[in-house]
Amino acid sequence: MRRFAVGVQSNVRTFLRTPLNAILAIVLPLVVIEGWGQAMAGLPSMPTVEAIPIDLGRLLGGIFGVAIIAGLMGLVQMIDARDADQRLVRTGYPPHVLLATRLATLATVTVVVAAVNYAVLRLTIEPDASVAAFAFLALAGLVYAFIGALVGAVMPRLFEGSLVVVFLAMMDAFLSGDSPLAADVPDFVQYFPLYHPKQLLQSAVFEGTFATGDLLFVGGYILVLLAAVTAIFGWTMRTAGGWSA
Amino acid sequence: MVGVSRTTTAFSIGLREQARNYVLLGLLIVLPFAFITLAFAVTQDVQMPVRTLVDGEVTTVPRAMPDVHGVIMTPITSALIAGLAGLFLMREARDTDGRLAVVGYRARQVIAARFGVLTTLTVVVTAVSIGVMLADFWPEHLWWFVAAMIVLSMTYGLVGMLVGAAVNRLAGMWLMLILPMLDIGLFQDPLFIQSSPDWWMKLLPGYHPVRVMVDTGLTSGVDTAASLGWSVVYLAVIAVCTVFVYYRETRFHRG
Repeated sequence: MRRFAVGVQSNVRTFLRTPLNAILAIVLPLVVIEGWGQAMAGLPSMPTVEAIPIDLGRLLGGIFGVAIIAGLMGLVQMIDARDADQRLVRTGYPPHVLLATRLATLATVTVVVAAVNYAVLRLTIEPDASVAAFAFLALAGLVYAFIGALVGAVMPRLFEGSLVVVFLAMMDAFLSGDSPLAADVPDFVQYFPLYHPKQLLQSAVFEGTFATGDLLFVGGYILVLLAAVTAIFGWTMRTAGGWSA
Repeated sequence: MVGVSRTTTAFSIGLREQARNYVLLGLLIVLPFAFITLAFAVTQDVQMPVRTLVDGEVTTVPRAMPDVHGVIMTPITSALIAGLAGLFLMREARDTDGRLAVVGYRARQVIAARFGVLTTLTVVVTAVSIGVMLADFWPEHLWWFVAAMIVLSMTYGLVGMLVGAAVNRLAGMWLMLILPMLDIGLFQDPLFIQSSPDWWMKLLPGYHPVRVMVDTGLTSGVDTAASLGWSVVYLAVIAVCTVFVYYRETRFHRG
């Protein structure tokens, strides 16, 4: 337990040691949420195209902002961890504890990023269910944080990994975000990572309620991602010779 | 002569390094294909008002939304990939190019080689993106459109290099995702910006090239030749800044 706590603390300190990351994690949500809201509100209403209310635009910007910041963080966390983790294993750190510290750090920072996004949203939107809205924003971030971690475990190069995470997030935001531009959205969109978190968040903010089915789906999604990350990370470390300790 | 040979050697090694990476090559084809095709496939086929230049006058004309969306999604794709490519090329250069300096390379030779690799990647990504787009939409003036795409993608590639010199990888990735997405996808998108753009939107890298693409992609005349000129000027200014920063980085490593 002590090793776990030390690991998480040192990972968080590593993140905070680069103040620019912390500053951007605060500034980018402001830019994305307001930029998204203002731009979406400019879409003209046409017979089959509904204009997006500015608050819904901000909400979509918020969920996308959390997702992409957390997703890229997860990617970097896993790829940067590789070499360092092998050295730590040699010095006696149990591999499963190492992985747990990485994922716990990721989850901690993601919740903080979600809190920043939520605070920015609160400047202009009064959610009907505040706690639920924050929790669902954090869940959206966690889903993408673990997707980033999974991509980082499968594809341990930043350029390629970032392309996958970025394009997935953009397609996801377009299809899951009820874009007024889209029609004939395929049924499989409900399996996209942001689809159910966005439904939960939208219901909590504008109606003060949420569907249990959506919540269960997101919970299952996170568990599957965690299992996949654990399996693949463990496998890659074993084949690299570092996980037999 | 030796200088040219060294530049060619560094350039071809850099290119071979990228070409050997089959995962990257696959992604450079699959991602634009998936993203642009999807954008066309799910966009409602309705007429939308588009604000653009016609016969020298700013006017609003009705255009099919999939075409307008395609005109925006295609440059976003190539700008995003070029920007990330520039970012990682610069990060890699910071780590490795100092060694080339130690074995006698001049900074300008390394810079020329790196710019060559970035240009090649950018042209490949632009070609793939436009190729995918042409399956669904053919611009009114293809070569003007292509020129604006290349200038925009190169500009973002160099912006990526500048960002790579200034910040760490995580911050760089955040910036190089959010900047082109907001710039091209929201602030220059004629579907969202129906009135005169604010002054600060005109300062963004996408302003002039996207004007050219909207004009030459969706209208029968070419009214934005001057904008293409301004795009090239913008690119040149960014290139000078990037060379300066790169030179400093190389000298720093030599020191």
